[in-house]
Amino acid sequence: MVQLTATPVIALVDEPVHIRATGLTPFQIVTLHASLKDEKGNMFYSRAYYRANEVGEVDLERDSSLGGDYTGVHPMGLIWSLKPEKLLTRLLKTDVMNSPFQVQVKLHELDFLLNNKPISAPKASLTLERWYVAPGVTRIRVREGRLRGALFLPPGEGRFPGVIDLFGGIGGLLEFRAGLLASRGFVSLALAYCDYDDLPPQPEITDLEYFEEAANFLLRHPKVHGPGIGVVSTCKGAEIGLSMGIHLKQITATVLINGTPFVFEVPQVYRGQIYPPVPPSIQLVAINTLGLTEFYRMFEETQIIASQSFLPIEKAHGHFLFIVGEADKNVNSKRHAELATDRLRRNGKSNWTLLSYPGAGHLIEPPYSPLCPASGLRALSSSVHWGGEVIPHAAAQEHSWKEIQKFLRKHLISTVTSQL
Amino acid sequence: IPPSKIKDPPGESCCYEPVHIRVTGLPPFQVVTLKASLKDDKGDLFQSKAFYRANEAGEVDLEQAPALGGDYVGVHPMGLFWSLKPEKAFWRLLKHDVLNTPFWVTLDVYDSICSQYSAIIQPSASQVVQRWFSGPGVQRKQIREGRVRGALFLPPGEGPFLGVIDLFGAIGGLVEFRASLLAARGFAVLALAYFDYEDLPEELLEVDLEYFEEAANLLLAHPKIQRPGIGVISMCKGAEIALAMACYLKQAVAIVCINGFTAVMGVPLRYKDLVVTPIRPEMERVQVHASGALSYCHCYGDPRDKLNGQSVLPVEKAQSRLLFIVGEDDEFIRSKLYAEQAMDRLRSHGRSHGRVLVYPSAGHLIDPPYAPLCFASRVRGLPRPFLWGGDPAAHAAAQEHAWGEIQKFFRQHLIQNRSKFFCKL
Repeated sequence: MVQLTATPVIALVDEPVHIRATGLTPFQIVTLHASLKDEKGNMFYSRAYYRANEVGEVDLERDSSLGGDYTGVHPMGLIWSLKPEKLLTRLLKTDVMNSPFQVQVKLHELDFLLNNKPISAPKASLTLERWYVAPGVTRIRVREGRLRGALFLPPGEGRFPGVIDLFGGIGGLLEFRAGLLASRGFVSLALAYCDYDDLPPQPEITDLEYFEEAANFLLRHPKVHGPGIGVVSTCKGAEIGLSMGIHLKQITATVLINGTPFVFEVPQVYRGQIYPPVPPSIQLVAINTLGLTEFYRMFEETQIIASQSFLPIEKAHGHFLFIVGEADKNVNSKRHAELATDRLRRNGKSNWTLLSYPGAGHLIEPPYSPLCPASGLRALSSSVHWGGEVIPHAAAQEHSWKEIQKFLRKHLISTVTSQL
Repeated sequence: IPPSKIKDPPGESCCYEPVHIRVTGLPPFQVVTLKASLKDDKGDLFQSKAFYRANEAGEVDLEQAPALGGDYVGVHPMGLFWSLKPEKAFWRLLKHDVLNTPFWVTLDVYDSICSQYSAIIQPSASQVVQRWFSGPGVQRKQIREGRVRGALFLPPGEGPFLGVIDLFGAIGGLVEFRASLLAARGFAVLALAYFDYEDLPEELLEVDLEYFEEAANLLLAHPKIQRPGIGVISMCKGAEIALAMACYLKQAVAIVCINGFTAVMGVPLRYKDLVVTPIRPEMERVQVHASGALSYCHCYGDPRDKLNGQSVLPVEKAQSRLLFIVGEDDEFIRSKLYAEQAMDRLRSHGRSHGRVLVYPSAGHLIDPPYAPLCFASRVRGLPRPFLWGGDPAAHAAAQEHAWGEIQKFFRQHLIQNRSKFFCKL
């Protein structure tokens, strides 16, 4: 009898699942098909073809996929190679507390799936639950002073290191990473700064005092153990995160994912100090073979080093972790990290680590998140290419997530123990 | 301020001819936007744009000035044409009505940087260029004789003309644009359908070489066609068929195989009593690209694999001259692998009538010059697009070069053949 098993069936999204099939005909080629429906009803699909061994088993931790959405040995491949039915749709969980993503995994005979729906009925199937929060994590809506966001608390007594989570120019409030960080033992503040609630849709300046307010708010919380807190930030959020690391003594660990060491779009202001934005060279914007827009060359010709937009990173007291996707097509992440680390070196500083991932794109998210190569509005011509190749991007997400947690624990918890 | 002007010669041209675009009357050193757009026969929009910096005299000459960004970078006089992209995802630019209407390409100049994020402004100059798929005097005749289905394109004049059969691939139906363009270059071309057209079978379940022999004889019987041998230009599955014609028939004396199989693939080949068993495609080896398009090139096996020996075409038996054209980044077929296998087989049998042209970074759909690169597109109504591959600038260069080589090849070997024939008298 054909059986499909997965261990564990219910898990956090950053936990791997061991998928196995037994009871097949020896050397039979089978199709493993995964599907997911997001909160808006969009479908995502993936498939892989495996050959059973001499005793009729397929073990995704051991066996190589022959073809489909990935090839080779990738136990979590069915999840991170999920692709939207509707082009350019990004997989994003908005309600992270009350429901998981459900992934249906089905085993079929060799079924050449020209479209997304299999021709025959599955021989076996199961449903995985992928949660963004661990049992016992609590979420508190934040509306204090100017601050808007959501605070996630780990379960249990005692105090935990605190982290501010900042996403990029997408605006709004993305909570999924903060929920996961709380599940991993950090008090996490998912902080919105534009296009959310009563925050301006497109702020004309970045006011660093807003983020200082957030840092102080977090440190005041009874479950947060100071004296230092961390920042995990992406893209525009990383420009802000860098500035927080420089100007706010409370920030002792800053993770910068595919960001810029200079101010762009709108000026940054902190207590009267103004950092002007670097002017973009729009004529350097490229359109790729599929018609997607690539912005990564936009600051190529700009003299950044001598400019006032270049943030004085050497003034920071805390530590930095740079995460670079070398195939980022939205920002020239590799060059930007080099500008920052060169400046640190020139000033005799060594308070940084750089992790550079070949083949990884702009949207480096927690492990097993499907690669979103581009997103946009209706037409291809107005969509943005994020970049990245599916397999190396998945590996980068797995590796960087572990490193991010190690980094935060090292620089936030050690300050705690040194107080004892 | 004098208005900017786009200068280029003939508003009408054949689409294998380059167009020299020059803009004058711009502010000196200004960064400007050049855009091209067209609507295909179904009304679907294709667009391209590039950013240029005017020189001190306020001019941009596309034969000299490099594009700074946009759909291409660097000096590419025809870049606006070959980088045209569909508004509808995975849509391929194909001309169906090849004789009666051209593509109307609108060229616009904006004297500033114009992106989808900037305000909509009017172009400071605009011009429409007609790109024709045929030439003056070319005639089209629908062919429905015996089993043969297709369209014959004849150049103007009495002839005799070099005859060529044009075979496309598993797209099916009848694709005419290459045949009409070759006719404008003086060849008599039979665009030949072999499935999913008129009363031909809807699916290709086998290749019956006698059908193609009938087509070759039909062409040769035409009073305006040069005897005794014809050429074949072919692509993909069509190239496998053309190569089989070379091996088993005698009418085809010069064969161009573009990105094709050199073994019988998928369905059997039949010629009278001979049946050649096909290589069975391994569909489980399909690979899904990040865009969702499907790359099939790993599904078609290795022609060097001994298990496939009975399916490999016996090219050493061919009396015709062979020209293999290969895009190295073909994502649909591992064309280089197949062409090299055929060439090795010729060499090992002491035959020297084959030649291969390998184009680095060119993809599967090597079309006539300036055709936009189609990186992936839907085929025959199937929902998942097929990945064809190719890097735009390299692919464009390959198309330009290959077009010249193909014509030289036909003229050299079809005419030579004629003179050989006369010498034997």
